[in-house]
Amino acid sequence: MKLTRDQVKVLAAAVDLEIPEQDLDNVTIRVSALLSAMENIEAELGEAMNSVEPLPPVFPREDF
Amino acid sequence: MPGNEELAFLSAAEQGRLLRDRKLSPVELLRACLERIDRYDGILRAYITVCAEQALAQARQAEREIATGNYRGPLHGIPFGVKDQLCTQGIRTTLGSRITADYVPDHDATVIERLRAAGAILIGKENLHEFGKGGTNVFPYGQPRNPWNPAHHPAGSSSGSGIAPASGFSSGSLGEDTGGSVRSPAAANGIVGLRPTFGRVSRYGGVMHGWTADTLGPLTRTVEDNTLFLQAIAGHDARDPLSSTRLVPDYAAALRPDLRGLTLAVVREMTWPDGVHSEVRSAMEAALDVLRKLGATVKEVSLKLAKHSVPLQLLTSDSDIAAMMLKRWLRTRWNDFDVGTRTRLAAGCLIPATVYHRAMRARALVRREILDTLAGCDALLCPANLNPPGRIEAAREQVDTPEDMDKKVLLRRISTYPFSMANIPAIALPMGYTKNELPVSLQVAAKPFDEATVFRVAHAYERATPWHRRHPDLARILHKAAA
Repeated sequence: MKLTRDQVKVLAAAVDLEIPEQDLDNVTIRVSALLSAMENIEAELGEAMNSVEPLPPVFPREDF
Repeated sequence: MPGNEELAFLSAAEQGRLLRDRKLSPVELLRACLERIDRYDGILRAYITVCAEQALAQARQAEREIATGNYRGPLHGIPFGVKDQLCTQGIRTTLGSRITADYVPDHDATVIERLRAAGAILIGKENLHEFGKGGTNVFPYGQPRNPWNPAHHPAGSSSGSGIAPASGFSSGSLGEDTGGSVRSPAAANGIVGLRPTFGRVSRYGGVMHGWTADTLGPLTRTVEDNTLFLQAIAGHDARDPLSSTRLVPDYAAALRPDLRGLTLAVVREMTWPDGVHSEVRSAMEAALDVLRKLGATVKEVSLKLAKHSVPLQLLTSDSDIAAMMLKRWLRTRWNDFDVGTRTRLAAGCLIPATVYHRAMRARALVRREILDTLAGCDALLCPANLNPPGRIEAAREQVDTPEDMDKKVLLRRISTYPFSMANIPAIALPMGYTKNELPVSLQVAAKPFDEATVFRVAHAYERATPWHRRHPDLARILHKAAA
C-alpha cells in the first residue's frame, strides 16, 4: 500500500504527532513498505492466520 | 604470568582459574582492561561511562575475599560491561540518547545484581544504538568502530558490548537482543553472542519496551565463557512476570568435544539467499564440513515463512516500543532523537491496531513453522550475518527511496529475525575471517530452553577451529588506520 505524504500527515495527526516536513518522505516510505509487506503476508497466509490466536510468542508455561 | 595483552585476551574461564588459584589478582586484571580502554577506546568508543573507581574498589574487595577463602565461583573478580540500556544504581544510564543523558536509576537490573552476587565487577556502560533501536546515524556518545578495522561498523544495537570483549576491554558483556542486537555485534566483532530463550533471563531493569521479543544475553570471547555468564544470570525473577520458573540446567556440563548423534539442519532461506557474500558462503560450506567431521548429521531444511520475519517484527515490536516513546518524548523532543530512530518510531506509531493484530497472528505461524522444523532435528544453522561488517558510512540506514527500505532495513536483518520471532535460543560465534581480516559468523539455534544444545554445537565447532584464538592487534590496526 503506497501512502501519500498527506495520508501520513493525517495518520500522524490521529495520534497527535506532528512530523516535520524534512522527515515526512522518510516516514512515508517506511510505513508504505510495512503495509505493503503486510498485504503480501495477508495474500499468502490470510486464511491460515484466521485459525491461530494472536498470542504473543512468549514461553513461561509452554511444554516442548 | 601472562603479559597485559595476553592477560586481557585470555578467556574469562582461564582468567577465573588464575584468580581462583591466586596466581592473578582481580586488581591486576581490571587494570589491564582499564589500560587498554585508556589507550584505544578514544577511537573505538565501546564505552559511554567507565566506572574505574567503583570497579577498582570492587576488585580490591574481591581480592580480599579470595585471599581469605571466600571464593564465590568462576566469575569472581571478572570484569564485565553492560549495554547502557540496563539500569545501574547510582550510575547514569543514557540509553544512547541525548534525551536521557542525565538519567540515573535508583536500582540495578536483575542481571547486574546477579553478576555482582557472583563476584563479577562492573567496569562500565557500553555504547549502543539510540534506545537499543537499530539504525542510528549519528551517535551522541561517539561513533562506535570495529576493532578489526575502525573504518567499518561493529553492528548493533549492542555495539559497545561487542567491541569491548573483542578488544580486551572486559572479559564479557551483557547486551539486549530484540531482533539481532546481541548476535549481530558478536558476529561483526568476532566473538560469541547468545540470544537466550525468551523468559530464561529476567528483563527487569532493562529499558526496552518490545515486550514480546526483548531478551538479555552475554557476549564473550568463548562459548565456555558464555555458559558461565548465562549460568549466573538465568532463572526466575518475580519482578519479570514473563520470566520462566523452569530449573536452570548446568550449561558447562553440556560442553563436549564431539557432535555424535546430533542432527543439524541448514536453513536454506537464511543461508544461501541472493546477496550472501561469497566469503560468507565459502566459510559456511567449510563450517558444515567441520560439523560433519565432528559426528553430526547435516541436512538442509526450508523455512518458507522466514522471509516475513523482518516486517512482522517491525510491525509489532516497533509499534510496542513506539507506543511508549510517543507518549514520553516523540511528540515533544522530535529533534533530539537521531533521524534514524525518530523516523522508525514514527512509522511504528502509525501502524493501525487492526494491522498489528493480524501481524501478531502471522507471527504465530512463523513461529509454528520453526518449532515444527525443530521437531525433526536438534539445531538449526545459518550464518549470523550474510555480509561481513561494511564501512560505516555505507551501512547507515538512510531511507530516501523504497529501495533503501528494502535493502538497508528489511533484507539485511533476515539472518537473525526469524529466530527472534520464534523466541528460541540462538548463538553467533566466529566462523572465519575474510581476506580483509573481517569476521564472519556461524549461528546455531535450538528448541525453546535448549540452550544446552546450542552451547554443545557451538563449543564443539569452536574447539575444532582456530577462530576464537584470533584477536585484533589494536596497536597495529589503529596505527595503520591513522596513517
